[in-house]
Amino acid sequence: MDLSRFNLITIATPLVLGAGVLLVMLVDLLSGRANRRPAQLAALAVVLAAAAVCLATWNTGGVSFFGQVSGDGFASFFNLIFLAVAFLVILAGPAYLERNAIHFGEYYSLVLVSVMGMAFMAAGTNLLVIFLGLETMSLALYVLAGFNPARQSSNEASLKYLLLGSFATGFLVFGIALVYGQIGSTDLARFSAYLAGAGDPFAGYMGAGVALLLIGLTFKMAVVPFHFWSPDVYDGAPTVVSAFMSAAPKAAAFAAALRIFYAPAESLGLPWERILWILAALTMTVGNLSALNQASIKRMLAYSSVAHAGYLLLGILAGNELGAAGILFYLASYVFMNVGAFTVAWMVNRRGEGRYDLGDFAQLGFRRPLLAAMMSVFMLGLIGIPPLAGFFGKLYVFTAAVQAGYVWLVVIAVLNSAVSVFYYLRVMVIMYMRENEALKDVDRIPATFAAVAACALMVILLGLIPGSVLDVARAAVASMP
Amino acid sequence: MDLLHLLNQGLFWFFVVMTVVSAIVVVFSQRVIYSAFALLFTFFGVAALYLFLAADFLAASQVLIYVGGILTLIIFGVFLTAKIYTMDIPQQTHQRYLALLPVVAMLGLLTYGLFTADWKTVTPAAEPTTKDLGQLLLTTYLVPFEVASVLLLAALIGAVRLARPMQEEDRD
Repeated sequence: MDLSRFNLITIATPLVLGAGVLLVMLVDLLSGRANRRPAQLAALAVVLAAAAVCLATWNTGGVSFFGQVSGDGFASFFNLIFLAVAFLVILAGPAYLERNAIHFGEYYSLVLVSVMGMAFMAAGTNLLVIFLGLETMSLALYVLAGFNPARQSSNEASLKYLLLGSFATGFLVFGIALVYGQIGSTDLARFSAYLAGAGDPFAGYMGAGVALLLIGLTFKMAVVPFHFWSPDVYDGAPTVVSAFMSAAPKAAAFAAALRIFYAPAESLGLPWERILWILAALTMTVGNLSALNQASIKRMLAYSSVAHAGYLLLGILAGNELGAAGILFYLASYVFMNVGAFTVAWMVNRRGEGRYDLGDFAQLGFRRPLLAAMMSVFMLGLIGIPPLAGFFGKLYVFTAAVQAGYVWLVVIAVLNSAVSVFYYLRVMVIMYMRENEALKDVDRIPATFAAVAACALMVILLGLIPGSVLDVARAAVASMP
Repeated sequence: MDLLHLLNQGLFWFFVVMTVVSAIVVVFSQRVIYSAFALLFTFFGVAALYLFLAADFLAASQVLIYVGGILTLIIFGVFLTAKIYTMDIPQQTHQRYLALLPVVAMLGLLTYGLFTADWKTVTPAAEPTTKDLGQLLLTTYLVPFEVASVLLLAALIGAVRLARPMQEEDRD
């Protein structure tokens, strides 16, 4: 048997994560009932090891395992994003989990399993692998959303996400089955070859298949009209989990969408463009308008992440190299802003888990100037103010869309960004201008503070060297088979 | 020969009607328990249709997993629920008209596919499919096969977490 067909380098990063899951469970088992610290340290070590492996095997994999996975630069780039998010939520998490008396070792193993699923979504060159990766990711997220069984809203979030998520998965699998029925394969290379050669790309079951694939993936991205779950789930889930959920799975869903649709985008033609155009415009507008008058910071950030999915769709719609590389850059900066903002939100929450009021931020600028400054970095980054990473993400994606001829859609996107200024700046206004409401002081939690500082640093750093990061992203996109 | 063909056709249509009718009962029945029992027939009918497609392994696993699983679920449901026959478990349909939109769109797409698809026909091999499936699982589909096992591991960890009590009692 030809063993070169089983090139383990291509799946080295998820393999380390898989072994890490078992290791973390074992460490947690051995370290006594009350002590979760060893499990956390083990999980951090696993993430660092996986990141080291990811960097060492950067773009060396190529397609292997009979065309099922590709360990190219694209997979490596996304793996690094997922691992960064995992590292941050594992570092920041314990304080939150302790506060709510839900500090269990399963938190760490579930986060790692979820990231492993994402790694397969980014590396899969076969619809089956992408589907199984998505399911592995989602299953862990369903449990993490319900990680606080004492709170009704956490249970509700978990159940809602499970029911709607399984439904969306059903659509995805049905789509895969129909595509298989049409071309007799689930291989993505065959998929794009078929579409390139077909006169009518939507003949037979291809139309229904592609539509269902799109529904399955856009559900995970929280694209309107499949976004109804996201505010309730982000709001009800434990906030550390919301931070994780709003960042990494969205990146993974876009990775899978690029894997499937980037190569054949051109041959999909007009109906495809129209559908994506409408979805992008709807998502941006509904997300931003709904975020405008949210009293809860968690719901506001949830709707803001819906809006960002809309901006990101522009990159998919553009279908050119800059669009795809722009999405990679955008996601690399977006995850840090979102994880940071959600983490600050639970740090300053002083009214208990049930209420995440914007009023919690009152006077933060004077009581905790550094924390407030970092929150301002996240808010300004989410708006897309020039020196920060968020600006360049938007710039690349919007430029790509203009190059592809979608001027009106970019006009809508820019107008939407202007609307979003209102609710992001409101947080800053409250931090620096609202009167003190005699609230409890914010706890000082060194590890969590370090995680937030790392996020802020990345948002600033990516804004300082956007060109070289974009070059890496371009190379990553070009390395896709 | 003709009689055999007729029997074959008769059996096929019998299973088709059984599957569709029981599926309709699943959707429209007002009682959960009737729906669950009807679902049993739907799954069994689908398993029979797999046999007509010469997919013996698929049919067997359909019976094992779905028919077996659903049966167990119903028995447990009856065990654990007092007065299950008289209890009124609400099972209504909401947003009927809004739901019509995606349903009609889906039906349209599938019907369009039905008439335009390039149907491939293969002559079924006389031997069982299990050998080929087994080889594929350990060669071409090795990675999906292994990822599926990680998926099950994630499900196990999650189930254990959710089933355990909130405050862990000290056992020393």
